[in-house]
Amino acid sequence: MDCHQTKPLGNRPEGIKRILLMGNPNVGKSVIFNRLTGLDVVTANYTGTTVTYHEGLVRFQGNQALLIDVPGIYGLNAQSKAEEVAVEMLNSGADLIVCVLDATHLERNLHLAFDLQTYDIPTLYVLNLSDVAKRKGITIDVHLLSKYLNAPVFETVAVKNIGIDILKESLFKPHPVKPALKILDRHEKSQEITENVTQEHDVEIGFLERLSEWCIKPRTGIPILIIVLLAALGIIVGGGKGLRALILLPLVNNYYIPFMTNLIEGIIPESVFRNVLVGEFGVLIKVIEWPFALILPYVFLFYVVFSFLEDSGYLPRLGVLMDGIFRKIGLPGNNIIPFILGYGCAVPAILGTRASGSRRERIIVVSLISIAVPCTAQTGAFITLLGDRSIFALAFVYFISFLTILLAGLLLNRLLKGKSRPLILELPNLLMPDFKTLSKKIWIKMKHFIYEAQVPMFLGILLAAFLVETGMMNTIGTFLEPLVVGWLDLPKEASLSLILGVVRRELAVMPLLEMNLTTVQLITGSVVALFYLPCISVFVILVKEFKVKIALLIALSTFVLAFAMGGIVQILLNLVM
Amino acid sequence: MHLYAGKKHQKYILNDCPNDSLLNAIGVRNGLEVSVVTKQPIGGPIIIRVKKREIAIDKSLACLITAKAVN
Repeated sequence: MDCHQTKPLGNRPEGIKRILLMGNPNVGKSVIFNRLTGLDVVTANYTGTTVTYHEGLVRFQGNQALLIDVPGIYGLNAQSKAEEVAVEMLNSGADLIVCVLDATHLERNLHLAFDLQTYDIPTLYVLNLSDVAKRKGITIDVHLLSKYLNAPVFETVAVKNIGIDILKESLFKPHPVKPALKILDRHEKSQEITENVTQEHDVEIGFLERLSEWCIKPRTGIPILIIVLLAALGIIVGGGKGLRALILLPLVNNYYIPFMTNLIEGIIPESVFRNVLVGEFGVLIKVIEWPFALILPYVFLFYVVFSFLEDSGYLPRLGVLMDGIFRKIGLPGNNIIPFILGYGCAVPAILGTRASGSRRERIIVVSLISIAVPCTAQTGAFITLLGDRSIFALAFVYFISFLTILLAGLLLNRLLKGKSRPLILELPNLLMPDFKTLSKKIWIKMKHFIYEAQVPMFLGILLAAFLVETGMMNTIGTFLEPLVVGWLDLPKEASLSLILGVVRRELAVMPLLEMNLTTVQLITGSVVALFYLPCISVFVILVKEFKVKIALLIALSTFVLAFAMGGIVQILLNLVM
Repeated sequence: MHLYAGKKHQKYILNDCPNDSLLNAIGVRNGLEVSVVTKQPIGGPIIIRVKKREIAIDKSLACLITAKAVN
């Protein structure tokens, strides 16, 4: 699920106005970008969501302009990857800068505005999040701010599409280059402007402000975390089971499968080909049953919960709360965000680590995600496989995953040279996510899942049907017997999971559903699948981001760990059960 | 005293901040009035409030910031 475009810098179509959308991290640039271009780049309520840049066309009354969503930065010192990209963007030329200011944090945001004025590029300002500012008792005199900055200022609430039309129209009007403000001390100047344009009223502290403070205080934050986790589990596992049992399985089992089986049996006589289509691993049956009836409900509910948490601003608070524990594995606490992203899909999680600073931190996070964090599709497969047999079996597999993350993290922290950088994090406002934005985001993630999963899933199932129906699986099974039967104590046909697991992670689990396995065998198979190879898309991203050597090293570690842990778990469980 | 030794809900003026680019960019500088919101356990960060913003600062860094209590 590659959600981020990476194109060479300075790509500029002839004759089109080039506009840079800039601002501090987490001021709503990507939401404004989406509103102006009609595109759907990923947005979230924490810093570093845009790790590279996105570009799109803004159209207005027959005119068009190229808008570039530049990663959020605090200044132009080129000290981080994001700042390097921003400076390079500015140096490659632009016709207009749209500088987004956060109405709740104006003073700090003005520093970047001053930096941008040193470039001879016309600039206009957007004062976003003005609804949150009002809620906090902050009123800003937009006209006065405009006078101070010597440029137009537009007030917006981007998530609610307020003020966007006027902003869009102004992009196509001529804007002259204004001389930069004469500033001796930027801190003093930003303070002076903010004090003069801002009026703060005492407002009663609202529920969200109180909740924000409870989330970061250990005494209340830890119980809130437990409630959030239990609610998330209840919604994903309970809700997913409900959706499956009440809607999806009856539809597939009572209507789709009989219809498809009768149709094919009516057309094609008994043969290997017919069995490949509607037999034990019939591709026309499993390609609908596995992804849609068994996995999709969990993937959908995972993204509902995750997107809500992401847009609410809870995740950075969780990062702060967990910082002490994360330090033990060599990571600042805000790395919890790529981790949680990894429970959705490892690809955006790996790309998201670009915002996390040092290469050392990136390698630790990426290795741990690739080794022991199951993606949402694999989680769905685990719930289907284990949840129906025993919730303890499911909990046990996740316990093994957490334990491995902890041990591997401690080991990597010792092995890799260097130190983690200190945590400095500005907490975003805690918000009630906007329903429309949230629904769109979930819809985009589901579309990605369906597009990304369907072709590999189809090919994987086709391969399974072919191997089973032609008898080739028997030969492969005999070859792998010492490993699969001897060491893992699984039936010979479980070799199929190892073959399909190369394609996608959930495909290492799904074939086990079709076998009559004991609980210990289900757990063993799941542990092997949990650690087994990263899927093909993840491997490709690892190569792109870290070169072949590290990608191969990660793949080899997960492969060896899968069989080692599978065998050990099987032996131990058979001893006690 | 250093900022990490600060008491919850007490206001402080920062006297001497280390020269850290991110700290500087985020607006944590000498002369700033802050209040301590909370501290995280097992070596976690201190959280300070600057006007209506909440900022988490690593323990190691907060120990390098000197601050003076104000009423």
